[in-house]
Amino acid sequence: MSSDTQLGVQSEMARRHARQRTVSLLTAPLWVGTSILLMRFWFRYRIADVEAVRARYRTLRAQSDGPILVCANHLTLVDSFLIAWACGSLTYWFTHFDELPWNTPERTNFGKTWFARALIYAAKCIPITRGGAREDVGDVLERVKHVLQNGETALLFPEAGRSRTGRVEESSAAWGVGRIVGAVPQCRVLCVYARGRRQETWGDFPAKGDTLDFTLSCIEPKSDAKGLRRSRDLAQQIIRQLMNMEEAYLEARSGEGAR
Amino acid sequence: MEQSEVMERVVKILTPWVKDEGALANVGMETNILEDLKVNSARLVDVVIAFEDDFDIEIADEDVDKVNTVGDAVTLISAKL
Repeated sequence: MSSDTQLGVQSEMARRHARQRTVSLLTAPLWVGTSILLMRFWFRYRIADVEAVRARYRTLRAQSDGPILVCANHLTLVDSFLIAWACGSLTYWFTHFDELPWNTPERTNFGKTWFARALIYAAKCIPITRGGAREDVGDVLERVKHVLQNGETALLFPEAGRSRTGRVEESSAAWGVGRIVGAVPQCRVLCVYARGRRQETWGDFPAKGDTLDFTLSCIEPKSDAKGLRRSRDLAQQIIRQLMNMEEAYLEARSGEGAR
Repeated sequence: MEQSEVMERVVKILTPWVKDEGALANVGMETNILEDLKVNSARLVDVVIAFEDDFDIEIADEDVDKVNTVGDAVTLISAKL
């Protein structure tokens, strides 16, 4: 691809992104409000120590003005909504809209009806077909890079899908995450480990009435390797961080159970 | 290097990652690595790094976006030899 064509593709992507951001912003009261109401009153979820989680999020955000990519473990279809709800209140997201992360949901889960497609368009989503045509996946990764370089936030699940064993798996690490982190200078990664107390393994939704725990930590992955090895190395650092967080969480939970 | 030789080596490298071993019997240039051979998309990076090592070439992250089929891999590698 010539550099002119490349520039043309990038500016078209920037235009599409700006358009979607405007729609998302204008419709935010509807979809952010509705999703929080549903989680709170229909599913009756509760975030454990929600104020502490939000304070931790704000502290980690405040440590740097640089780009931040949120990476989380993935057990249910609504993880991205739960993470947003855990990290900020309705008022916070309205006043810090660009911090509300863009998501990359699996197209086959959310793209079946026009309503679902419209909803995910409004709800800051960039659908991806995992295992689909490589160029399409590459376009999504480019878009996420653009999001970060634009001072906005994105959320990716480094396991590239819900964890079929219910545990973070190193072998599932998708190197695309490392590719993004490697391409965005000074990119920090906000690792989020989220789990419902009744969540034994993966599923569509946490159990109704469940209490969800959230652990947050921030890393800045570095690698001296080059090319694909670098991307793989960076992705592995993120997944290992999530594995460590999971281990610490499960150990703490089993300690609580023993008491 | 002949394209057939590149193809043979590519298939050999791919083999440990292939989940549908039956598909290897009919592998050709049009065979899709993820859909037909059922290689895990998260492991594609390991496959491409194995290409780099075996052929002593460097493949950029962006080039991986062009690799859907065995033929795509053969073409990419051949262009770098």
